[in-house]
Amino acid sequence: MKRSPTWAVLAPVCAAAALCCRPAAAQDLLLQARRIVIAADTVLDDGRVLVRQGKVAYVGADVPAESRARRLDYGDATIVPGFVLAHATLGQERDLAERALPFTPDLRAAEAFDPWHKELLPLPRHGITAAALSPAPTNVAGGIAALVKTGRDRGVLGADLHLMLSLAAPARDPERPPTSLMGAVDLLRRAFDATQKGQATGPDAAVLRQALQGTRAVFVHADTFAELNAALDLGRDFGLRLVLVSARDAGKVLPRLAQQQAAVVLDTLQPEARLAQLQLPTRLAEAGVPFCFAGRPELLRRSAALAVRHGLDRRTALMALTRVPAALLDQTGSLGALRQGCAADFAVFTGDPLDLDSAHVATWVDGALVAGREPARTAAPAAATAAGVR
Amino acid sequence: MTVRTRWLVPALLASTAALAAQGQATAYLGARILPGGGPPIENGVLVVAGGKIVAVGGQGTAVPAGAATVDCAGRTITPGLIDASFRGGAALADLNEQGEEVTPHLRALDCLDPDDPAFARALAAGVTTVHVMPGTRNVIGGLGCVVKTAGAEPAARVLKDAASLRIVMGAEPSMGNRAIRGGRVDSIYYRRPTTRMGVVWEVRKAFHDARQALEQSVGAAPSPPSPGREVLARVLRGELTAYTTARSEQDIRTALRIAAEFGYQTVIDEAQDAYVVADELAAAKVTVLLGAPSAPQVAGPGSADGAEPRYATARLLAERGIPFVITTGSNFAALDLVREAMFAARNGMSVAQALDAVTIAPARLLGIDGRTGSLAPGKDADFVVWSHDPLDPAAVAESVHIDGNPVPASR
Repeated sequence: MKRSPTWAVLAPVCAAAALCCRPAAAQDLLLQARRIVIAADTVLDDGRVLVRQGKVAYVGADVPAESRARRLDYGDATIVPGFVLAHATLGQERDLAERALPFTPDLRAAEAFDPWHKELLPLPRHGITAAALSPAPTNVAGGIAALVKTGRDRGVLGADLHLMLSLAAPARDPERPPTSLMGAVDLLRRAFDATQKGQATGPDAAVLRQALQGTRAVFVHADTFAELNAALDLGRDFGLRLVLVSARDAGKVLPRLAQQQAAVVLDTLQPEARLAQLQLPTRLAEAGVPFCFAGRPELLRRSAALAVRHGLDRRTALMALTRVPAALLDQTGSLGALRQGCAADFAVFTGDPLDLDSAHVATWVDGALVAGREPARTAAPAAATAAGVR
Repeated sequence: MTVRTRWLVPALLASTAALAAQGQATAYLGARILPGGGPPIENGVLVVAGGKIVAVGGQGTAVPAGAATVDCAGRTITPGLIDASFRGGAALADLNEQGEEVTPHLRALDCLDPDDPAFARALAAGVTTVHVMPGTRNVIGGLGCVVKTAGAEPAARVLKDAASLRIVMGAEPSMGNRAIRGGRVDSIYYRRPTTRMGVVWEVRKAFHDARQALEQSVGAAPSPPSPGREVLARVLRGELTAYTTARSEQDIRTALRIAAEFGYQTVIDEAQDAYVVADELAAAKVTVLLGAPSAPQVAGPGSADGAEPRYATARLLAERGIPFVITTGSNFAALDLVREAMFAARNGMSVAQALDAVTIAPARLLGIDGRTGSLAPGKDADFVVWSHDPLDPAAVAESVHIDGNPVPASR
């Protein structure tokens, strides 16, 4: 990151100004709206969310009696859990692929994270509150993904996430081995085999061992039938917790996906794609394969809407933006829902976010407004208090 | 045949698909049956049920009660054809691992795409089973697999996941390799071989190391595990057949010499100069794969390999009693398999021999003759209903059946 020298001078002033403008961290917030989606299957009409210290302290129709929160009324709007991107490179591809070697399972995407990258800034405007920054698919074993939140702290959150592998075309490079899919498959098979037999040591083997033990999920970038089939073979032979990323031809391996309980992270759905591609989310849902939407952040909501247009039910579509990606990243305790104890990450739209004529109003991360606006009117304290006293 | 009757048979066949799926018997009546490896049966009866052949014979063959019947009068039925060297099923770049020259353990099966258009083209030519080997850019490319060209489930299409080990002689494996001439000094292509001598050195070194590991394995400290060496050891122990691609005379001689030196069994693939070395081939008792007998030019880097194909090679091999199989191989000029068989017959071999060379002969070579390659009770119901004799230039595969199911022609 580069900052101009004036930043150093202005920083304390800005910080002070920010403190004045922001509500004190300790002050609770009480938001209300016509519809509050607590989780994809639980919707509250005319409900309220109490935010305390960045977390959801209460969701319901009545306000707790002791609440002295600052009250904000979003009127007819809909509040939904913040969207989670289960796979993203956020414009940092060049720093997320070690080009000298094809096999770098122990590299950490967290080390490449630039919190001021320009592609990170617009994420909240699209309702996205968290993303898995993932090694690029140019390496057969790229490394370990990191959880990124789009809030004001801009930090990398908590522990590292899954191991990112790739059998997709970008992982085959004519200037370094492996140049072919056969070679890429063999490289992974041998590495897992050697680790399983205890013949491999070192930090890369340690990561593979976690994958073999099931303590670390394995995301595999794969598109064609042969790539997906090879990934599923690896998952079966080594007992991996498998998530397939991009998975263009997932429709051809549906029975295996269901049988092996693998999940899918879909790339951006394009309206001009073949019908089979547009219907893929519906087919995945029918087969009982968990999946989520990812790809270009600005088109995330459109992907979900297109899937709904081609037969996916709205509840599953919303799950695929919130709960499922949170689950794939092992973050259901804090992300993907507005239940008590979860992070206060949510987006506000004028209507159902799966209707593309619903406009984005605001996005809040960890209880702080990061995009959009606060409502023009505050909730009437008297009414709220009355409800709270009841 | 009128257009109307020509489409009648496929329509009838399509309606039998559901019956086949239920395991109900279907009898194909009145066709001339060329069962593969046996004499033709006029006015024959072919009964299939549950994906298998139940009976095949002449007019008097019993048809089970309740069997659906398909009138095939005027048609010819053959076993599904088998292409023992099929270029297709995967992207060429994915069948050639350029990271190393010797990659015996890599599996062609890992990069097969069941929806590759090459399978549909093969089906249209009556081919129901193919042998796909790794490409020809490596000295030792890896393991070939045998798959059917269609089927409900990709996994069920696999007959053998490791049927052969591909070795390549000649100029092709050394293509692209070079010395440092001011380019990237870290290029992976800065390596041996750059010559025919280098190609042979790579093969010899690989088998030498494998043999040494085998000999040391008794009582000695075990060598570090090497999946490639284990594959070569299987070849040395006679458990796996090498398929050595050798087009020109000198390459065929070299392939035979190396095989004799290490005592392994090999098939000579794409042997376009076989007519020159017929004595050696006969003496070595090897099977020859004739890649695209109709092609006037050599596959691969033609000028570098220097072979001179002759149309009469197949006839010569037949006369000399050298076992051979007709394939399409890696030659881009290849016609479809049935036309290659037609071409071989046109140049002097018997029709029966030409048909056997694309049915029962490749089945025996690949060790799948228990499943397919001829029409016999108990085998998979892989067969083709032809509009004419299959070696007639006007012959069309009216319907192709795999495991008893007619494969939709629109694929």
